[in-house]
Amino acid sequence: MTIISAPAGSGKTSLLRAWAGRPGQAHRLALVQVQRDQRDAQQFWLALLDAIRHATGVNGGAELPAVTPDFNGHAMADRVLSELADAPGGVTLVIDDLHELRSPEAPSQLTQLLTSLPPHVHAILTTRHDVRLRLHRLRLAGELAEIRAADLRFSERETRELLDASGIALSAAGAALLHQRTEGWAAGLRLAALSLAGHPDAERFVAEFSGSDRTVAEYLIAEMLERQPPDVLDLLLPTSLLDRVNGELADLLTGRPGSERILLTLEDANAFVESLDPGRTWFRYHHLFADLLRLEVRRTLPAEIPALHRRAAGWFIRHGQVAEAIRHTQAAGDWLDAARLLADHSFSLTLDGQAQTMQALLRAFPRGEDHPELALVRAMGDLAQGRLDEAAAHLAVAETYAKTPPPGRQRRLRVAVAALKLSLARRRGHLAGVMEQARFLASPVTGPSDEDIALGSDLRAVALMNLGTAEAWSLGLPEAERHLREGAVLAREIGRPYLEVGCLAQLGFASIFHGAAMPKIDAFATTQRRCREAIALAERYGWGTEPVIAPALMTLAGTMVWLGEFDEGERWLRRTERALQTDTGPDIRLLLHQTAGMLHAGRGRHPEALQEFGAAEHLASQLEGSQALANQVTGWLIATQARLGRPGEARAVLAALDDGRASSGEIRNAVAVICLADGDPGGALGAVQSVLDGTAPVLGYVTVVEADLLAGLAHRALGDQRAASQAAERALALAESDRLVLPFAMTGSAALLEALPRHQAAHAALLADLLDVLHGSSPAAKEQSSLPPAEELSPGELRVLRYLPTNLSRPEIASELSVSLNTVSTHLRSVYAKLQVRDRSSAVQRARELRLLGARRTP
Amino acid sequence: MDPAPAPYMIRINGHLGATLLSAFPALAPRHDGAHTVLTGMLDCSALYGVLAEIEALGLDLLEIQKLTPDRKSPEPGGRCSP
Repeated sequence: MTIISAPAGSGKTSLLRAWAGRPGQAHRLALVQVQRDQRDAQQFWLALLDAIRHATGVNGGAELPAVTPDFNGHAMADRVLSELADAPGGVTLVIDDLHELRSPEAPSQLTQLLTSLPPHVHAILTTRHDVRLRLHRLRLAGELAEIRAADLRFSERETRELLDASGIALSAAGAALLHQRTEGWAAGLRLAALSLAGHPDAERFVAEFSGSDRTVAEYLIAEMLERQPPDVLDLLLPTSLLDRVNGELADLLTGRPGSERILLTLEDANAFVESLDPGRTWFRYHHLFADLLRLEVRRTLPAEIPALHRRAAGWFIRHGQVAEAIRHTQAAGDWLDAARLLADHSFSLTLDGQAQTMQALLRAFPRGEDHPELALVRAMGDLAQGRLDEAAAHLAVAETYAKTPPPGRQRRLRVAVAALKLSLARRRGHLAGVMEQARFLASPVTGPSDEDIALGSDLRAVALMNLGTAEAWSLGLPEAERHLREGAVLAREIGRPYLEVGCLAQLGFASIFHGAAMPKIDAFATTQRRCREAIALAERYGWGTEPVIAPALMTLAGTMVWLGEFDEGERWLRRTERALQTDTGPDIRLLLHQTAGMLHAGRGRHPEALQEFGAAEHLASQLEGSQALANQVTGWLIATQARLGRPGEARAVLAALDDGRASSGEIRNAVAVICLADGDPGGALGAVQSVLDGTAPVLGYVTVVEADLLAGLAHRALGDQRAASQAAERALALAESDRLVLPFAMTGSAALLEALPRHQAAHAALLADLLDVLHGSSPAAKEQSSLPPAEELSPGELRVLRYLPTNLSRPEIASELSVSLNTVSTHLRSVYAKLQVRDRSSAVQRARELRLLGARRTP
Repeated sequence: MDPAPAPYMIRINGHLGATLLSAFPALAPRHDGAHTVLTGMLDCSALYGVLAEIEALGLDLLEIQKLTPDRKSPEPGGRCSP
C-alpha cells in the first residue's frame, strides 16, 4: 500500500495519472476520486465498487447495489474485499483526495478494507493531510510506503526537464531562479510553464516573479488570468462557484453559448481543468485553482454572486440534484427557500442515502436563519441516531408550525409530521394514541403540480409503510396488510425499491399473526412464501442482510421454529442478527430474542431459552406502550422459569402483571406450567379452562394448542389417560393444517403423544413427524446431504409419502386418503423408483434427507 | 460550545495580495519582511476554518500563536478542544 500525503498543488494527482498511464502497466487500475466534502460514505463505496468492477471485469455486468438509507459500510467493505479476491491478476486501487471523505464512519470501514487486502491488490491513497486510518500493522510489516511533500518537490534538474518538455527556452540561471522561487512546488511550476509558453521575454518574467514577495500561487494565477482572452475569463470566474461544471451549466452562468468548447480547449492545454467522465461532458477545476478563482470572483464581482448561485440552483433542481441545489440556494443567501427545499426533499434525500449530507446542509443555516420547517429535518436526523426525546421535541415544533403554515403547505407538512410520529411511536412501542391521528395518511395526496405529486409520492409511500408497520406491530390487521400492499405498489411505481422491500418485509411479518383462534389453511406456508418473495427482492438490490429486510428474515426464522425445522430456523436467525447489526431499535431486537428463546425451548435447552426470554422481557419493559407480543414473551418467560424449577421467580413475575394481562391466554398457560411444576395438575386444568372455552383473549390459535397440551399433561398426571389422549388429539387437530411442532416440543409432550394409539390416530403423519422431532432426529437435523436430487414427486405421490413414517398399512393409508388401494400401491412403486430405494424404511430415510416430509412441501 | 474568542497571530510565507486576503476577512494583515502576519480574535471553529483555508489555498504556514496579553494561569474556557 502507498500513501501520498502532501499539501494542495504538490502534484499528487498528476503523479498518479502519469504513473498509471506509463507503458507496461500490468496491474488493472480502479480509480476513485472522492467528491468534494463527501459526507455520506455510501456514495464513495458505490463508486469504489463500480471502479473495481470496471477494472477487473468481475461482476462487470451486475448492477451495483441500490442506495439505501440503512447503508452498512462494514458489510460493503467485506463485499469489496470478496470481489477483489476474485479478480484475476493484479489490481491497483487508487483513492484520490481521501481528505474529502468526511463521513465519521468511513475511516474504520476503510481501515477494514486496507488491512485485509489480498496480496495481488496494491492500494494507493492521496490526501492533503494525514487521515486517521489504523495502518500501524501494515507499517510494521513493511507493507506501507509513504510519499510526502518533500519527495514530490521538483529538483532543479527536474525543473529544467519540465521546461524543456513544455518547449520553454529558459537559460540555466533562469531555470535555477524559477526553481528557487517556487521551491520546486509542482503547481507553481505548472502555472509558470503556462505563462511562459509563448511569453515574449521568458527571462524577464522569471526575474520579475523572483523579485516579488507575493505568494507563488497568487502571483502566477494573476499572471495567467491576465493572459487569457476575455471569453475564457468570463467563463472561469463565474463557473468557479460550482464544484463541477458542464457546457450547458456554464452557458447558463455566463449567459452565452460555446462554453463546452472552451472547457475542452482548457483541458487540452493542461490548464487546471480536467474532465470527469470519458465522454468529456463534466469538468472540474483543480481545487487550488478553483479556490483562488472563487476568491477573485468574490472580490471583483460580489454583486453578481447571489444571482449566479440562484441560476445554478435552478439548473440542479431541474436535473434532480437536490443537495447541490440546496447548497447553491444557501450560498445565494435565500435561506427561506433553502429551508423549504430541504424540508420538502428530506424524505427523498434520506431514501437516496444522503442523510449525512442533509444534516451538513442543516448545519449550514446560520443561527438567525432558522426556520420551523427545519425542525422536521432535525427530527429525522434524531430518529436515525436513536435520539428519541430530541426527535419528539423537534416534531412538536414542526407540528405547531403545521397548524398555521403558509398557503399550500399544510397537507404536506401534516403528512410528514404524521409519518415521523409513527416511526417515533414504533421505536418507543407506544402506538395506540398515534394510530388514530395517522389514519388520514391512507388517503391520497393531491398536489397542484406534477412535481408536487412526485415529491408527495416519496412522502406518501413512506407514510404508508410507517402506518402499515405500526398497524402490524399493534396487530391492527387487516389494515396493516392493506396499507403495506398499497405502499409496496406505490413504491414500485415511483421506483423506490427500498420502500417496496420495506413494505413487503413488514407484510411478511404482519401475516404471521392470525388473531383468529382457529388456524387458517396454510397460514404458515403463506407467511413463508411472502417472506421469501420479499427476501428475493431485497437480494436483487443487494440488501439481503440489511435492516430493511430483517422483519421478513426474522419471521421466516420464526415460522421454521414453529414448524420444528430448528436447524434451518437457526440459520435464518443468524442472518437476521447480521442484518440487525446496525439497527438498535428495541422493538425488533425484542423479537430477535424471543425467536432465539423459542428455538432453544424447542430444542429443550431451557436455561438458554430463559436467558433469551429474559432479554426480550427486559426490552419490552423499555417500550412505553403494551406490545402485541408482550404476553407471549412474559408467558414463556414464566413457563421456562417454572420448568427450570424456579417457581418462586415465576410467581414473582406473575404477581407483577395487571389483571388484563394476567387473564390473557398466554399467561393462563404459564400459570398452568407453574401448577404442573408444583405438582398441582388440578390447578393447571383450572388455569387453562378459560383458554379452552374461548373466554380468554389469545394472540393466535397456537396458544390454544399449547393449552390443550398442558391440559393433556395435567390429565395424565391425574391418571386420566382417556382425557389426556382427547386433549392431545385436539391439539393435533388444531396443529394439523400448519403442521405446528413447537408447542409440542416446548411443553414436553413426547410421552403424551406416545401414549396415543398410533394405529387409530387421525393425524398419523403429523404424529410421526412430531415424535421424530421430539426424539431429536428432526428432519433437518441432518445437514442437507450431497446426494443427487431425486426426480420431482407428484402431489399424489407426496401425499402417500407423508404416511410412510407411520405404522399405517397400505389399506389404512388408502382409507385415510379416500383413494383406492391400487392407487396407493401405484404411487408407492413410483415413489420408490424416484427415490431409488427398495423398501418403506429406506424410502422414509431418503425422504427425510431430501426434506420431502413436511406438509409445506406439498402443493 | 466554542470557548470565547481569543487573539491569534498567524504567520504565512510570502505577501498575500488582495485576492488571498479576502479569504481571511476576520483577520488584520501586515507585512513583516517577506512574511504576512494575520491577527484577530478567533474562537475554535473560526480558527479551524482559517487553518482549512490555509490548507485549501496551499499557503505556507510558518507560525501560529495564541496571544496572551497577561500571563495569568489557566484562562477560563481558553482551550481549543471539545
